[in-house]
Amino acid sequence: MTKYSDLEYLKLSKGEKLLYKITQFFCAIPRKILGLFVALWNLIKKTGSAIGREAKDIIFTFIHGDWKTKISFFVMGFGNLARGQILRGLLFLFFQIIFIGYMILAGGYWLSMLPSLGKVGPVEEYDYIFDAYVTTYNDNSFKILLYGVLTIFFVIAFIYTWRVNVRQNKLAEQILKSGKKLKSGKDDLRSMVDDHFHTTLLALPMTGILIFTVLPIVFMILVAFTNYDGAHDGYYSNLFTWVGLDNFNTMLNWSVSTSGGSQSYAATFGEILSWTLMWAFFATFTNYFLGMFVAMAINKKGIRLKKLWRTVLVMTIAIPQFISLLYVSKMFAKNGIINGFLMNMGWITEALPFWEDPTWARITVILTNVWIGIPYLMLITTGILMNIPADLYESARIDGANPWQQYTKITLPYMLFVTGPYLLTSFTGNMNNFNVIYLLTGGAPTNSAASSAAGSVGYTDLLITWLFKITQGAESQYYLASVVGILVFVVVALISLVVYNVLPSIKNEEDFQ
Amino acid sequence: MSEKILLEQNASPIQKRHMGLKATRALSNTAIYALLIAISIIWLVPFVCILLQSFRVESTWQVGYVIPQKWGFDNYVNLFQTDFPRWYTNTFIAALVTAVLQTVIVLCMSYTLSRFRFKMRKPLMQFMLILGMFPGMLTMIILYRVLKDLGMTQANAVPGLILVYIASSGMGYYVSKGFFDTIPKSLDEAARVDGATRFQVLKKIILPLSKPIVIYTILTAFMGPWGDYVFAQYISFGTSSGMNVAVGLYRWLNKDQIANCYTMFCAGGVLVAIPVTVLFMCLQKYYVEGVTGGAVKG
Amino acid sequence: MKKFLALMLAAIMVFSMFATASASSLAGTYDITVWVADAIVDLTKAQIEKFNQTNELGIVFNATVEAVGEGDAATQMVTDVEAGGDLFCFAQDQFARLVQAGALAKLGVKAAETVQTTSDAGAIAAATVGDTLYAYPLSADNGYFMYYDKSVIPEEHIDSLEALIADCEANQKYFAFEMQTSAWYLASFFFGTGCVSEWTTDDEGNFISVHDTFNSPEGLIAAKGMQKLVTSPFHLSAAGADQFANGAAILVSGTWDSVKAKEILGENLGVADLPSFEVDGQSYHLGSFFGFKLMGVKPQVDAAKAAALHQLAQYLTGYECSMERHAQNGWGPANLEAQATEAVQNDPILAAVRTQREYSVVQSAIQGMWWDIAKVIGDDVKAATDDAALQAALDSYSAKINDVFGIDTSILLFVGAWNNWNNGDEADTYHLKDGSVTLDVPESDYMGGRIVNLTTWDTNKGFAQVVSGAEYIKDLGADNPDNNIVFAEPGNYTVTLNGAEITIVKN
Repeated sequence: MTKYSDLEYLKLSKGEKLLYKITQFFCAIPRKILGLFVALWNLIKKTGSAIGREAKDIIFTFIHGDWKTKISFFVMGFGNLARGQILRGLLFLFFQIIFIGYMILAGGYWLSMLPSLGKVGPVEEYDYIFDAYVTTYNDNSFKILLYGVLTIFFVIAFIYTWRVNVRQNKLAEQILKSGKKLKSGKDDLRSMVDDHFHTTLLALPMTGILIFTVLPIVFMILVAFTNYDGAHDGYYSNLFTWVGLDNFNTMLNWSVSTSGGSQSYAATFGEILSWTLMWAFFATFTNYFLGMFVAMAINKKGIRLKKLWRTVLVMTIAIPQFISLLYVSKMFAKNGIINGFLMNMGWITEALPFWEDPTWARITVILTNVWIGIPYLMLITTGILMNIPADLYESARIDGANPWQQYTKITLPYMLFVTGPYLLTSFTGNMNNFNVIYLLTGGAPTNSAASSAAGSVGYTDLLITWLFKITQGAESQYYLASVVGILVFVVVALISLVVYNVLPSIKNEEDFQ
Repeated sequence: MSEKILLEQNASPIQKRHMGLKATRALSNTAIYALLIAISIIWLVPFVCILLQSFRVESTWQVGYVIPQKWGFDNYVNLFQTDFPRWYTNTFIAALVTAVLQTVIVLCMSYTLSRFRFKMRKPLMQFMLILGMFPGMLTMIILYRVLKDLGMTQANAVPGLILVYIASSGMGYYVSKGFFDTIPKSLDEAARVDGATRFQVLKKIILPLSKPIVIYTILTAFMGPWGDYVFAQYISFGTSSGMNVAVGLYRWLNKDQIANCYTMFCAGGVLVAIPVTVLFMCLQKYYVEGVTGGAVKG
Repeated sequence: MKKFLALMLAAIMVFSMFATASASSLAGTYDITVWVADAIVDLTKAQIEKFNQTNELGIVFNATVEAVGEGDAATQMVTDVEAGGDLFCFAQDQFARLVQAGALAKLGVKAAETVQTTSDAGAIAAATVGDTLYAYPLSADNGYFMYYDKSVIPEEHIDSLEALIADCEANQKYFAFEMQTSAWYLASFFFGTGCVSEWTTDDEGNFISVHDTFNSPEGLIAAKGMQKLVTSPFHLSAAGADQFANGAAILVSGTWDSVKAKEILGENLGVADLPSFEVDGQSYHLGSFFGFKLMGVKPQVDAAKAAALHQLAQYLTGYECSMERHAQNGWGPANLEAQATEAVQNDPILAAVRTQREYSVVQSAIQGMWWDIAKVIGDDVKAATDDAALQAALDSYSAKINDVFGIDTSILLFVGAWNNWNNGDEADTYHLKDGSVTLDVPESDYMGGRIVNLTTWDTNKGFAQVVSGAEYIKDLGADNPDNNIVFAEPGNYTVTLNGAEITIVKN
């Protein structure tokens, strides 16, 4: 493709600019992939040399440190205690005791079982006396995986803390040598609300995220490499174990025979993905433009009762979705209120297949989503519309621009620029919009070709609802759901990457400040 | 603000043009009114239907008409013979506690990421962005097991739910960070020069300016638990006393229940919608300010 | 020595049996959770209370009764067996899944004997895998039949599907019959023309083969009949008594809708077995699934609690409780004594159930995926415009059925040829799911066999099919033009299958 110089680029129209950027992005992909590998290699090299440096520093500290430092290598916090930093020293010591205790009592067991994920499954025996079968449960693959991962987290945290402990000793020695005073416990506490205030503020949220988001995600990714399903739940039925890349082979295989359907898994995945993207596109942009339109209508000069209109719309945000969506789904049923009304009025003679026909169902879902989404968009765009400098419109009017021209030349570009990031998050959010689909259609109507081993698939199923169906299906194939989850991540990440590279306004957060 | 535009438009020097547009404007205004009325009807119909059906006495199943033949409070009375009060209390407690704790966490997170420049800031934000791209659906299974080991499932689902709601809430810092970004940094710096600690800056300067975003965060945090179905269902499974309203009411729409419980579902829906709607109506102004101040900056 | 030890052990066991049988008793208080359908929660509470007072073993249950529907119980149990109900009711179609998930405790020897003599034979078959009974029959009414509105449908039309459809269309009323959303109902047409879908499991509840004839000339007739219904603008793919309040005149459903249907239609409610449909001048009575509801006991760690729970389960599924459920909810008992009572015999709804049962197929263990695979026939038939499209729908169906076992390529059979190989009868088959099988090969003319895929291999077929060479999976190369495995000498062998690699080791 031709490369434009800066000047040529500026001469292009808006659409051409965008097109140019997109093509440039895609042309750059091979180079970027190459760059990725180079970066990866550099990262490995860098990490390697960093570890080497650290190791050197640790050894150096040990050799040249005084006896307090040396003991600190084995009893964490000893140096701090010996040098009068009681608070720090106690914290280090406390952490070490907890770590060692944990590793002896539990951690060691979890780690040792991690490679096999358990050895003995449940055993059922007949009890002659009571004439009943009793079951003895043994290893629990699920817990082994979960706590094994948690233990690894803990070990990493310990190594890091130990390193900090060593470094602090070195620093303390240097400070004392240069004749300065060490920080006291009081200083430490003060810095918690001052210099290190950000650490204090982030401690709690990040712990939560680590345990309740990162750990589960790591676990979920690992499940994709096991055979965890209903018949191998790891405790009650059978143990599960590592299967390598088998599940990815199953999911990404184009051959029909592996899927238990007339369509391969890969084809089913592709079909659902294309609808997911279609849905995300329409759900985002119908809401966006219609919401903007409604906002402009309400804010138009001379329109009265602005507050009333807004309040009516905002009601939909306030009422929990499970109520409104479930109700709407019943309204559109073949014998629901809407069809009943239309038939009573004589406008139709037979019920419209809102949820029965694939195309109808898809359109109805999108329209219902408009109903849900407009109020929110209306609120957002109202705010932005008010922020557009009025003199822009003033001068446009002087130049004789009609309302449509004003819209396309001022309002829209401004909106698009400001809401670029929002559009991206809302697009990816819609891709994973479980509630609307699950509560409205549950994926119906069923797509017969795509119906596969992993539960039935409907025309309105998104990847995320499919994933859920897989886990709830007859076989509870968690491993397959996990593969789908990883693929969803890949798709979302890819899209975000493309948009990041094309849209200017997302890149620089400082622009807004 | 829209009034401001309006005033300036009126002050336009080109009066002639302005006069000429009057007729078209009146016409287009009528069209807009018609549109707004139509929209209002479409938006309100489902809610009015739910409301009306909750007062229907003559039958408990779905019917083809909307206006009850016989009015009464039977459905509401019946609600209190079921586990509904329990579900309601569960949800209310979860919503209340979540609203408080989640607000604290989200504000900590967003304030820090907006105001401080430290080494790990960018990697942290990128890390959370990437985390957010994983579908959370599957992590439910793991969270369930973790909560079970903590004894927070089934009958004790409420503390478990609260824990999960708030634990990951730090990820949703975008909107409030966007808001904090709009508060000029020079304010902080001035205070710092005067010797205030970071904490004092937050308490004395930032928080008073952040009323809209605080209320916005409380409001969204409060609303979340009312609508949570999938996760709540998963961790309270098989135990009525641990359910929240969404799970409990959803069961009434099952095939074998709907004929008995449909109108009760509507009544329950109305009762659920009331606190959230009332709160929303009262605090709408702040919500709008919060959204417009923060959301677009994501 | 070994033998002596074994004898000793057996002796000790027998001794201890007698020694402790009197000393250990079931008396005690047990905290349990019971899952039953919402409709019988209160009744079950009362029944457990009564059990506490009347049982002679001194068992006291401190029971929490939760409403978990029979259709939902398996999903909930599989979520976390440990936290699931100690006693739970479930529909028969969930049985295989529950056994697989390890959520059902086997019945003890005595309990099994009692149940065998007091319960409906079909229900016992439904709760059995191999020779083992896994659950207690709770009710024998889990089938569907027809409710109709007498004010719309004249009684003389109830035997003809075509007449019923015409009545509905003429009156602008709906014919509610779940054709697009549930394989359970949809199978009605296929069973009506004599199609079958029979699945077999091994002793652990794993499915090993299927005999399915939906894709056949009879299946095509069924599809044509179904087309008449689903293409009618007044067909409604929905269930639930409330359809009557929303313009339905006919509802195909089960006993669970009887109370509400009576309430909505009152005097106008009619009940009948399913109608017949006509294709090419021939009439076929609609078939149905007939199933049972079962009560299962969760596997327990404590033997006394397990035994006590089995006692309770026996009581709850016994005569007295079955009659109470019939009186209050109209459930058809699975208990033989209860079935014979006048009250049950004279119940018009159960009469319709009984009539329809003659045309029905007992719902034995069915592979879970079947429900999803079969469900889509309804949509396909509705969309079909000609017979070729109908046939295509059936082709697609049978392709998927055949592929069910294609997923796990390790589910393979080893067909040994030494016993009956040359008699033309059944050859010995060995299951190779776990990778390897050990076999004794006797001295004979045919010391060999073949690895075959389950889906293409009919276990009833013998020698001739093996020799034809059509079924082999592993090509054994030019040395073995028949693609057979040949054992050089008699002896004990271990045959291991790893992917497509076969290794044979003589022990």
